[in-house]
Amino acid sequence: MFLILRRGFATNSSLLCSSEKIVVPPLKMKINKSKVPKIREKDLEEKYITGWGPGGQAVNKTLNAVYLRHVPSGVWIKCHESRSLDRNRKTARKMLIEKLDLKINGEDSVQRQEERLASHKRNLKREKTRLKYEERRKEKENQSETDQENSSNKEDNLEYIPEDN
Amino acid sequence: MALHLSRAVRRVAHFSGISGSRCFAAVASFSVNNNLLKTLFYNQRHENSDTVFFYTTKRNFSVLTNKKNVPRKYCRGFSSPATGIDTNSNVQCVLEAVHKILEDAEIPEAETCSRYLVSQVLGSTKQFAYKEHLQQKLDNAQVEELNRLVACRLARMPVQYLAGNWDFREITLQVRPPVFIPRPETEQLVDIVLDHLPSKTSQRLLEVGPGTGNICLSLLHENPDIQVTALERSKMAADLTKENAKLLNLDQRLEVIEMKVEANTTLPPNSDQTPQPVQYDALVSNPPYVLRKDLISLAPEIYVYEDLRALDGGAEGLDVILNILRLALKYVKPDGLIFLEVDPCHPHILPLHLEKQALPFKIDKVLKDFQDKERFLILSRSS
Repeated sequence: MFLILRRGFATNSSLLCSSEKIVVPPLKMKINKSKVPKIREKDLEEKYITGWGPGGQAVNKTLNAVYLRHVPSGVWIKCHESRSLDRNRKTARKMLIEKLDLKINGEDSVQRQEERLASHKRNLKREKTRLKYEERRKEKENQSETDQENSSNKEDNLEYIPEDN
Repeated sequence: MALHLSRAVRRVAHFSGISGSRCFAAVASFSVNNNLLKTLFYNQRHENSDTVFFYTTKRNFSVLTNKKNVPRKYCRGFSSPATGIDTNSNVQCVLEAVHKILEDAEIPEAETCSRYLVSQVLGSTKQFAYKEHLQQKLDNAQVEELNRLVACRLARMPVQYLAGNWDFREITLQVRPPVFIPRPETEQLVDIVLDHLPSKTSQRLLEVGPGTGNICLSLLHENPDIQVTALERSKMAADLTKENAKLLNLDQRLEVIEMKVEANTTLPPNSDQTPQPVQYDALVSNPPYVLRKDLISLAPEIYVYEDLRALDGGAEGLDVILNILRLALKYVKPDGLIFLEVDPCHPHILPLHLEKQALPFKIDKVLKDFQDKERFLILSRSS
């Protein structure tokens, strides 16, 4: 005895998946840091607000802003991010290198590369989300088509007819 | 420490529970060695003020007011000064108002201070954090707190004590009066010590006078191979060092011993009961090194609120330094180095004293601070 499958029975929805899946090559962009300029201490001019008198223990000032200038290029930085003078000096040097990098290397600078990488990642994510919603939308459409067919089948009063009749 | 009260201080204490009087006074009392004044009293009439408030340590406050179990607030305002700050002005206007109040009272660094205080009531430790809230209005609690902070600053309380914490290199330390506030020069001392320690070997360091713990905790934070034993004469400073160590998770490698370093000091037996006295690989210290003649011209922020025992080095500023060297003779390895922060005159006058006192040390290096003053000494055993 065999069952005859009538039209209108639901089939596995995965068969209805679109064949539009795009294969995305894995992202292997790396930041190229070889062009980042190196600075020499002797090319730097550093200033802080100086205290008066003997300094040291005898003075209590909240001075912590560092003004750093790279003499050959004229690029300068003011850093007062932290309350520690030492930390500000270190941060100022990092900021100066970044600023120099941007000025000298332009589009090849680390900052621009990072921006491009971030924007590329965002685009990929958007694309992935878009595809996901596309799939879901299509599934829903097919599901509703199937439902419509099922309800119309019922009106025709088609039934399961055993073979041995 | 012995407490000596002048008559005027007693009057201020009498008013401490009652609101308002015309005089605005900041009081601190502590004793230093016998050659210095026992009580320092700083009094200033502030025209528009209707406030009595004073600062003192928790222990002194109990003595002054006969109250026990006082909460830890180091400055009390009993009626707010007429700052004109209220909940109707936005942060921009409040900042300008605070700046004007401090400037009119000739408080140094008025602009920087006003930024720190406004950012503090907005919940940040960064100086320019207020910029993100320029059009915002303060709520009642913030206005009250800001008024309290401004009042304290008018009483010349240092900004660091008002904030309650301050950054030192890569760590943030709790600070409170009268424990000595870390100075920016000392940040370089840590660099010097780290540069001269052999890498990847475990080292035992001895520190004299940690204060808030800035030197030892920075060293421990930046070098995982060292252990430090710190000697501190002030109970308040010792407690603060231990507290900071715990907050920074560095207490496992730090031992704080409450003791004063004098001419013939011996260290208590070390905790692991080893029979020989421990020989330390190096000694580091930012000892009291201010010369007596310079102590007189200190700013009120320092002589009222900070423990002068952390500053007073005697007539030539060398009293504590020489005692530290005597200690090093006994407890630091013969090839160990001694790192000191000193007054700029010391590289020139110390060798003479070392000869006179027959202390077998020589100065290996003299290093300058960021203001180009000779600030740091590295010493080692001679012959």
